[in-house]
Amino acid sequence: MSALGGAAAGGEGMTPVGIVVGIVLLIAALGAMYFISPGFAFMSLVFVVVGGLLIGFGVHFVPVGGAPAAMGQAPGIATGVTMLAAGAGLAGLFGGAWAAELGFGVALAGGAIGGGLMMAITCLMVNIIYVWGMGVPAASGKVAKDPITGDTFEAYKSQGTEGHGLPFISYVGGVIGGCLGGLGGTLIYVELLGVYEHFLPATLGAAEADIIPIAVGIAGIIAVGMFLVNAVIAAYNITGTIEGPHDPKFKRFPRAIVGCAVASAICGLFAIILAVM
Amino acid sequence: MSVEITASEGGMPHNKVLAIGLIGAIVCLYLTYVNTYLPQPIFSFFGGLAAVLALWWGTDTIKHLCSYGLGTGVPSAGMIALGSGVIAMILGSKLSIMGFVSTPLIVPIGTVIIAAILGIILGFISDKIVNMNIPVLMVSLAELCMVGAITIMGLAAMATGSFVFMDLVTGNITLFGIEMVDYNASFIGGGVIAVVFMLGGIGVQHAFNACLGPNESQDRTLMLAAECGFLSMITVSIISFAFVSFLAAVLSFIVSVLGWVYTYRKYFELSKRDAFMWLDAKPIREKEA
Amino acid sequence: MEELLFGIGISAIAGALATVSGAAEDTESDIGSQGDPNSQVQLAPQMGYIHRIYSKAISGEPPAYGLWCALGAGLAWALMAINYNPVLAIILGSAIAVFVQGVYATTAYLGRTASLAKFEQPVYVDLLKSVTTVTMAHAFVAIFTCVTMCFLMVNALGHPFPLPLMGLVWGIALGAAGSATGNPFYGKERQYQSQQFGAGVPISASGNIVRYAEAGQRSSLDNGWFTSKLGGPASGLCFGLIVFFELWRTIFFEEFAAGWGAVIAGVVLILIFMIIDRYIEVWARKTYGPYTEEKAEAAETAEEAA
Repeated sequence: MSALGGAAAGGEGMTPVGIVVGIVLLIAALGAMYFISPGFAFMSLVFVVVGGLLIGFGVHFVPVGGAPAAMGQAPGIATGVTMLAAGAGLAGLFGGAWAAELGFGVALAGGAIGGGLMMAITCLMVNIIYVWGMGVPAASGKVAKDPITGDTFEAYKSQGTEGHGLPFISYVGGVIGGCLGGLGGTLIYVELLGVYEHFLPATLGAAEADIIPIAVGIAGIIAVGMFLVNAVIAAYNITGTIEGPHDPKFKRFPRAIVGCAVASAICGLFAIILAVM
Repeated sequence: MSVEITASEGGMPHNKVLAIGLIGAIVCLYLTYVNTYLPQPIFSFFGGLAAVLALWWGTDTIKHLCSYGLGTGVPSAGMIALGSGVIAMILGSKLSIMGFVSTPLIVPIGTVIIAAILGIILGFISDKIVNMNIPVLMVSLAELCMVGAITIMGLAAMATGSFVFMDLVTGNITLFGIEMVDYNASFIGGGVIAVVFMLGGIGVQHAFNACLGPNESQDRTLMLAAECGFLSMITVSIISFAFVSFLAAVLSFIVSVLGWVYTYRKYFELSKRDAFMWLDAKPIREKEA
Repeated sequence: MEELLFGIGISAIAGALATVSGAAEDTESDIGSQGDPNSQVQLAPQMGYIHRIYSKAISGEPPAYGLWCALGAGLAWALMAINYNPVLAIILGSAIAVFVQGVYATTAYLGRTASLAKFEQPVYVDLLKSVTTVTMAHAFVAIFTCVTMCFLMVNALGHPFPLPLMGLVWGIALGAAGSATGNPFYGKERQYQSQQFGAGVPISASGNIVRYAEAGQRSSLDNGWFTSKLGGPASGLCFGLIVFFELWRTIFFEEFAAGWGAVIAGVVLILIFMIIDRYIEVWARKTYGPYTEEKAEAAETAEEAA
């Protein structure tokens, strides 16, 4: 959707007021959690915050070209930032949720690999379409040489365009973005699932084995919701399109990390309070 | 080289839409509470009407926000609305058993307040930390979070007849004639909340996204928003056959279909009024040079 | 052993269903012109090019398909809860979801086109009558196969997610995979068919989409034939591989190393795909060659001449 719309209104750099208030909110949320229920719930909130900022960070790696990419005018994948990241992250969440009962580490790794595998296959097929369906080689518009492979791009860009396809650095960026997104989403899900399985039996007055569907249901939909919130905040930070980790826009990621951490802290606080209180 | 995103001037002021939408939706949610005094939950469809009002209000919020230059994405606004709204809604539905006030009447108003707080914080993050620098972003995201929470709660009330947490997580199944509690067969345990989540997510941004353009007019956009709401109500009324009594579900279905047919026909008329030309099987009408 | 064979068999059928789903999804989104390439269809009247393309402006494909598949799955779940046969429930659920999709498609076309009245783009009502049902048909195939695949994952493979949530997750993944793979093919090769093959569309040509084509005035209906040549099957292959490898590596390797076997298998698969991609990229550079002389060579010849 990036051919639409006039100038994006974002400014550069971080406002000091914003950062200070953000950090105050973050500490306040953690403090409130510690006050209400220290121990298990508090640690879960910390991990949820980590999950959120992994999602926000991971979204910056995914190469998104928007509407110009659909015409071979810009490199990247021709879909929106939020939704491509959501697709990869949720595919990772699927794998991570399946492995949740095998252990914390395995579930996280499963989620990360699920997201990474989806992006690997998608980026490969995108390149196949560009090379054989459209007859264009991959070329980046933002850098002259690929940082990993050393390929030069200037001569391989068609006239009147800013590059096309997925150069290798964008491919690697996409895979890393998918891994981080899947990792973050699975981390949020596993932590919330643990909190609900621990605290809900007391609240609902039922056996632990019985309430597993509820715990999975709530943890699942809240994980999807928090994933989308973090992805949208990261997308606002990127303002439309990004070629991958080599893009100058990538340097904006600290703002998104702070923003996503605060957002995940507040959302996570609300999500955990609903079980412990 | 980009399509103009412009929002029309005039029409109903946004604050008036906000007032009607917010108060109307809360009133409709409270009307579903009347179900507890009835033998069958036939007032469930008021939950759907609450969702329609919320979507109607949310569409105007997105239009208001985009007129200040949001740029990168109307669908994203819908996603963040619902993503934060679902958290507020589930927390809100549990307010009556948290130990402060034990009456379920606190749930609707409590949910709206929680959603407003969550939305303002998200708006602050987007405006000041991520530096979007849009003046109305904080208020708009607060409104959108409220819209998301009310939409989900309204459709949940329409599907199950109630908006309290305990009713949303316990379902009944009959095994050999004996009714048993089964968490799998509930609104949240069975995952139906995911359907409502997505219905709201697409519904709230579709009206403005589809009517975008230089000749966008508020009455047409808002009519489309109502149509999306009633369409969502139709599907939820079919889902409600699994939760509420047959009569209540049929009543919901009839109300939804009537509302949808009316708004869809009005939308057609308004589109005909606004279109440059309304042609049937005619060739491309090239512009005069 | 039997369980393993059963699991692998289900993975195979889920992968096949996913392939059909991805192909149908991409064909549907091209017939209806949804997603990022649609921005060109909306831009065209602004640049003076009136057209008869069905401009279905419903957000992007991932959230839209997230909704249709979640809706199909949710309705199927509800019907199964009142003791409908699962197959019938999935069919009816998908049919109702397709009805919703059709309504959204019509309102999207009317909305955008009516709002472009300033640029003199008329609303062609016959498009509503002819194209809408074709998009709905393709969407039904995509939604039905996706919901069936989710049903198999929940009931045959024992995934903890409930069916509607599974539909949401795989619906968004389906939309993302199909959109990423199919959009450039439709956007450049079909909409800008008149541009030269082998180069991207120059920015100066924006909005000048093809409006008169094979048989008179281009209709979106013909995009179905076109997409099924490469874009559709490629999208299907993409989504099918994603689903198949995700399931297969879990079922086959999970017993090894207490679950870490599946993770290692995943890493190996990612590396294999990365190598294939690098090979394709290098092949393209070598076979197609540069568009202009490399600057380094130009600098050398300048030095020699000096």
